[in-house]
Amino acid sequence: MIWREPRSSRMNGVLIMEEPLNTSTLSFDALYRECARDLYAYVRTLLGDDTSAEDVTALAFERAYRRRSSFDARRGTQRGWLFGIARNAALDELRRRRRTAPLLGDLEDELAAAPDEEAELAVRRSTVRTALAALPARDRELVALKFHGGLSNAELAAVLGTSETNAGTRVHRAVTKLRKACHAPA
Amino acid sequence: MRQRDPLTLEEERELDALERALAGDPVDYDLRHLDDLVCDIRASAPEMSPAFAAKLEQQVSEGFPAADAPAAARRRRRRFVLIPAGGCLAAALVGLVVVLGLQQQDSISTFASKPAGGEQLSDFAADESAGKAVARDAPQATPQAAAPAPSAAAAGSSATADLSRQSTSSSAARGSGDVAPARTQRKQQRSADLVLRVPNRRVQAAADNVIRTVDRFGGIIASSESSSQGRHSEASFDLRIPTQRLDEALAALSKLGNVVSRNQSLVDITGSFTSAQDRLSDARAERRGLLGALGKATTQQQIDSLRARLRNVRSQIARLNGELDALRRRADLSVVSVSVTGTEAPQEDDGAGTGGWSPGDAARDAVRVLEVIAGVALVSLAVLAPLALLGGLVALGVRAGRRRRRESALDPA
Repeated sequence: MIWREPRSSRMNGVLIMEEPLNTSTLSFDALYRECARDLYAYVRTLLGDDTSAEDVTALAFERAYRRRSSFDARRGTQRGWLFGIARNAALDELRRRRRTAPLLGDLEDELAAAPDEEAELAVRRSTVRTALAALPARDRELVALKFHGGLSNAELAAVLGTSETNAGTRVHRAVTKLRKACHAPA
Repeated sequence: MRQRDPLTLEEERELDALERALAGDPVDYDLRHLDDLVCDIRASAPEMSPAFAAKLEQQVSEGFPAADAPAAARRRRRRFVLIPAGGCLAAALVGLVVVLGLQQQDSISTFASKPAGGEQLSDFAADESAGKAVARDAPQATPQAAAPAPSAAAAGSSATADLSRQSTSSSAARGSGDVAPARTQRKQQRSADLVLRVPNRRVQAAADNVIRTVDRFGGIIASSESSSQGRHSEASFDLRIPTQRLDEALAALSKLGNVVSRNQSLVDITGSFTSAQDRLSDARAERRGLLGALGKATTQQQIDSLRARLRNVRSQIARLNGELDALRRRADLSVVSVSVTGTEAPQEDDGAGTGGWSPGDAARDAVRVLEVIAGVALVSLAVLAPLALLGGLVALGVRAGRRRRRESALDPA
């Protein structure tokens, strides 16, 4: 039995323990509730566009629903399986976008809306977001899968089609790049 | 793009700290920036708009009806194609099995009936042209012997009809010259050719049974021969069977093994017999006349001349008597040739000649069917295995290509 900490319950560094979910045999509805926000965050980070992210997220859930009988627990977790579907849909969207016109990510101006007491925190997060958006797509995807998707290295390896060790190495290097980008002068 | 460079110890420590931060566990003080990074990234995670969240929630709760319909239609279409295709495949396999089975059966029956087929017809035509009547698989054959080969029996019926026509025409032809003898006085020479097949191990037993059968019917064995080459054995007999008991003897001999072929011929020798009789009568009458003339002869020259003619007539009478005896023997003793060949294949009735379909036959048929099915499966496997391998390689290539194309979306433009 696998117990997973719900990613969405962790806000501002405060861990809120909620009812643990058994992801090995989740119903589709439970899978949706556990993964929807994380999946959207991953897709949105990868695509950099709200509209495309919504379309791809909806498409991923639709495909997952349609193929839910084909899920094989021996080949990985439901979460990894769902993120794999979303990744394929997102990559297809990226390819389609490359054939047409490139869209630029619409970064929110969080500073403008932030209150004074949270200005420092907002600046820091804006920096992180800008640095993340500036990362190469492969690294950005890795960070999104790891931080937003909350995938373990084994799940990452299954989604990316690589080994668990290699997945860890790539995550480390992407995080290193992100940290450097965060500390780079604007 | 795979990076295979191993991580240093420090990097591994950082990665471990990152995992701990992601899991909400405390990290070392010097690596607390990773905890901050995790918090910042998660806090800045894009959020779904309420409208989209509500829409998606609704779609999930309704089970993606718009998406499910085409999927169900696709499934139905797939079933619509797959079920008939599977049925066709199964029917084709069954048909193949049946055709192969029939071919097997045909080859056996063709082999068995070949001597009674075209070859027989040509023989019959040749005999007819020579003024002989020939019948194969004559109606005298007992029902038991005729049962295994109904086609041969049918051929025998037509041959009998031809024989009747032949006998009638020959009688009519003779009626113009000689006095036609009554039907009951006809002299006929009959012969038969019988080929039996038994398992190799039973050839000797079958040969012994042939000898016993000949003895039982008062026949004689003119010659016999048996040979064995490797695992193949065979025996052949040249028999003389009293014509009156020929049918019974043939029926008994036919029970000694599987009848591969059974041919009978009938030659009407009545003409030769009556001709010889007539010539004998003439010779005897001539002898009587010469003896009378000799008693009345007055001169030595007449006496010498009559005695010389009497010598000729006596030798002629002796020759004609021998000829008549030979013709009687031909009519009284039928020539029967029996061949017993051994085979490695299991016999249907193991020499019992019952002709029925026993549980053993059913078991053998079942084994045969299974053999054919196994053969078909093997051939199918031989054809399909390379195709499946090729298809698998193509599928792998297509999958790898598709993955590479997708991954290319992450490459810099």
